[in-house]
Amino acid sequence: MGKGEDTVFATPVQVKKRSTQLFLIFAVLMIILIGRLFWIQVLQGDFYSAKAEEVRLRDLPVEAKRGTIYDRNMRSLAVSISVDSVVANPAEVRRRGQERETAQHLSRILEMDEEDVYEKITRKNTGFVWVLRKVDPEKVAQLRQLSLPGIDYIPESRRYYEKGKLASHILGITDIDSRGLEGLELIFDQQLRGIPGKLVAEYDAANRELPQAQHAFIRPVDGHGVVLTIDETIQYIVERELDKLERERNPKGATVIVMEAKTGRILALSNRPTFDPNERHLYPDASRRNRAINDIYEPGSTFKIVTAAAAMEERALEDTEHYQCPGYIMVDKQRLRCWKHEGHGQQDFAEVVQNSCNPGFVTIGMNLGLDGFYRYLHAFGFGTPTGIPMNGEASGILVPRNAAKTIDLATMSIGQANAMTPIQLITAISAVANDGKLMKPQLVEKVIDAQGAVVEKFEPEMVRKVVSKETAEELNLILESVVTYGTGRNAYLEGYRVGGKTGTAQKIKPGGGYMEREYVASFVGLAPANDPEIVALVVVDAPEGMPYYGGLVAAPIFRAIMVDTLRHLGIQPQVVNQQAPTAMMSEAVQEVVVPQLTGLDIYEAEQILSGVTLGVASEGFGTRVVGQLPKAGEVVSPRTAVILYLDDHEDVFQTEEATETICPDVRGKTIRQASELLTRAGLSLEIYGTGLAGSQSIEAGTKVPVGTVVRVDFLPLDEQGP
Amino acid sequence: MDRKFIKNVDWTLVALVALLMTFSLIVLSSASANIGADRWDFVRKQALWMGIGLAAAIALVFVSYQNAARYSWYLYGFTLLLLLSVIVWGTDINGSQRWIKFGTFQFQPSELAKLLLIVTFADFLSKRYGKLNTITDLLPCFLYMALPMALILIQPDLGTSLVLVAVMMGMLLIAGANKKILLSLTVGGFAIISTALAGYFFWGLSLPLQDYQIMRLVIFFNPDMDPAGFGYQIRQSLIAIGSGGLIGKGLYNGSQVQLNFLPEHHTDFIFAVVGEELGFIGAAALLLLFMFLILRSIRIALDARDVFGSLIVMGIASMLLFQVLVNVGMTISVMPITGLPLPFVSYGGTSMLTNMMALGLLLNVHIRRQTIMF
Repeated sequence: MGKGEDTVFATPVQVKKRSTQLFLIFAVLMIILIGRLFWIQVLQGDFYSAKAEEVRLRDLPVEAKRGTIYDRNMRSLAVSISVDSVVANPAEVRRRGQERETAQHLSRILEMDEEDVYEKITRKNTGFVWVLRKVDPEKVAQLRQLSLPGIDYIPESRRYYEKGKLASHILGITDIDSRGLEGLELIFDQQLRGIPGKLVAEYDAANRELPQAQHAFIRPVDGHGVVLTIDETIQYIVERELDKLERERNPKGATVIVMEAKTGRILALSNRPTFDPNERHLYPDASRRNRAINDIYEPGSTFKIVTAAAAMEERALEDTEHYQCPGYIMVDKQRLRCWKHEGHGQQDFAEVVQNSCNPGFVTIGMNLGLDGFYRYLHAFGFGTPTGIPMNGEASGILVPRNAAKTIDLATMSIGQANAMTPIQLITAISAVANDGKLMKPQLVEKVIDAQGAVVEKFEPEMVRKVVSKETAEELNLILESVVTYGTGRNAYLEGYRVGGKTGTAQKIKPGGGYMEREYVASFVGLAPANDPEIVALVVVDAPEGMPYYGGLVAAPIFRAIMVDTLRHLGIQPQVVNQQAPTAMMSEAVQEVVVPQLTGLDIYEAEQILSGVTLGVASEGFGTRVVGQLPKAGEVVSPRTAVILYLDDHEDVFQTEEATETICPDVRGKTIRQASELLTRAGLSLEIYGTGLAGSQSIEAGTKVPVGTVVRVDFLPLDEQGP
Repeated sequence: MDRKFIKNVDWTLVALVALLMTFSLIVLSSASANIGADRWDFVRKQALWMGIGLAAAIALVFVSYQNAARYSWYLYGFTLLLLLSVIVWGTDINGSQRWIKFGTFQFQPSELAKLLLIVTFADFLSKRYGKLNTITDLLPCFLYMALPMALILIQPDLGTSLVLVAVMMGMLLIAGANKKILLSLTVGGFAIISTALAGYFFWGLSLPLQDYQIMRLVIFFNPDMDPAGFGYQIRQSLIAIGSGGLIGKGLYNGSQVQLNFLPEHHTDFIFAVVGEELGFIGAAALLLLFMFLILRSIRIALDARDVFGSLIVMGIASMLLFQVLVNVGMTISVMPITGLPLPFVSYGGTSMLTNMMALGLLLNVHIRRQTIMF
């Protein structure tokens, strides 16, 4: 073009005008752009900053170590052990390109399906996948050696029940995330659980974790320990006896509870069927049922203790020797039979109890009247849960007060018609053993923190006073006579004053009425009868074969448990003058040689001892036997308790030939304290009297041979000198 | 002569472009740090292209732009051949044939075509200056641009075609075309496009658009849709820019960029890197640099010796500004995503070369402005 080539003012005014206009359009668009930027960056900056963190930061929870559950002597029952979980970062696995090989290794070592593993470790859109949680350490070690790309191991903890089936119903179970599901694991979950920590890690767009990037580790706070009232040794004794029962009589179920009479603390509680919480998948779900607390039954004659206590307290007894038993009693034109068809003839009240005479108890119940009977039924805690810290406690089913008729009063008096849980029954009987004071059953003594400091303490709790001290004491002596002369003879314990009551009840059919051939055999008893320390209940549900009577099935179990428990607790034999009853016990009196037990595990030792009809008592903490008394090779009579000294007594037994010991000073101590001191020194106690120790036959500080008998005279408090 | 020549160079414009290029190299050193084996690889290549571009610009300055008028039809024909050659020998990259390969060197003809068309169209319009009052007057202008645009659309390169539409409208305005017709054409164009899109979405009308282009439109209207798929890029871009805040996370410290959450962060989405690492202050400063560049261009257009020169300059200004608007707009979700680079800043050889040649043309027009004093 040549048109404007030489023109000086070549650019027309219109071009200038339009150029300026175009620039204004440009400027407006640019201002809109900058305005939008300001909105996003300055006004909404925080919102987008949070989003930016969100896209690159991930939290991984870090499990807190779950607290330990201890028995009352701080022996651990449930612990958390560290185990590794195998995890994968699929993005990393894919990037490294050995997916197939990695999946093969994992499936081989972890015994998983290869396709499953492959799918997990190559999953899209995630940087974290669990391959398998809580894997055995050997397998993890194998995997670590292969150093598989994109596979990592994170520490977690697995619940481990050190003693297997021991106290499994009390301890309960946890899930894979170590959260309590049943039992104390559930009830004390908050305390045991601790506070989980977390691991914050930064990831890039391809979901690869950045090793040197922003990492924060918030340390978890370990859970608290829970100290039970359960005594591991007594629990062990109970488990042992129930195992024996299962072998011999194969019952549908069984329950044993051992309770400390004065406090309501439960020393042992076990049910059959049972399970091992470490391998709970191998047992049917029903085996986890805590029958002692979840299930109800008709207690039968064991309940007559309650009837008797109420009648004594209300002075509703006939004059002595006024109970006539022709073998039946008429109530509202119905004939209620006594278990003894020919009848018991004329009896006094103690004999009625000894004979467990139905017409006698029906008469007593009638004298009490419905109002009186129900008042005591409720006072003893029947019909309401005891409040024991356990899940699913049943409250029992009572005949409704307004529907109850005379015939109901009659049957209730002999322990029929009302249904209750074993824990309710033993709690009620414990009130009789505890001067009439009904205690709340206690399973947990305290909660402690990781350093052992007490976080929460549970004191024995009295619910109410049910009967007077006098009534209780008198009834205890009557119960002793039941064992000495009556239906409870099989519970007789040489050297101990034991009281108790048998029970044999027909089982209720699901639809009502009673089953023909199924019985619940039970025994509840206490010792020592003059000042009860221990109450125990044995309930056996439908033992196979004959006999099925409580006196023959449950009483011997009670006896076996009691003898070892009393010795373990250092409650010394008091009575030496009493004749063993002409019992159905047919134990050939022979001599037993004490086996070598030192160096064994306590459970093995206990197994061996029970096998040779010897009792057991343990001293100290730990599980390894470092010493024993009497020594191996000594000849003793059957059922002698062999004292097993555990780990922390090692120093005492460093020299095998520790033959001499120094007699401790026991003056001013209680029987139990004295017994403990002497046992620890390797000496035997011979008790005279009750109360506090006044004098001892061997002077404190004297060197004497191990096993020497020390006679200690105990005096009641008010007879102590100034 | 040489000294006067140097004196007549618009050093302000040169300084502005130099600042933009420095900006580019600094941001690129962060944006490309996590791509490729050598973190300086992209920076070196970009600097090399700047050098080549500078040489081309200097070469262009020496030959008066007025000579181009004489060969404008040849240049127009060459442009059409260039665009045809892409269709015949083009290499597919990301689903469209925008590239021609010479050995290891690859080249985008549509970039160069933009510049050639600005020059030839400027000549075409200057001859019709003042005679663009009716539709009949305007029709040849549209046809002139429609042919190359169609060839670019076939590649397909919707972005560059749209740049040409903007350039054409800008230049027509400067050339004195009837404003009412231009306005109604713009409004009418939007109306037709909107109707066509509505037809597509509501009545299944078929459109000559690729699926990904449709999806970009859909995502533009629903930015939160499909955050892991089609919506991923815009979401990550918004997060990057937004999380930069007022002062940014610091160079090399942008988590969105450095951890690869944002794709294409060294090319089309380099503005998001600026936003994240240098914050609102850095991003606004960059936009102001562009604004000064445009302002300087207007100055040159006003002083141009002839309408031809003014039209070339305003065509280039329209091109640069439209690209900035579209590129920055897509990173902050005021425009749909199109594959347009940010002039002088995004990594890319052909684009850098084209922009430098555009600079050469601006300087060329400026040196030969009407008020030259000898």
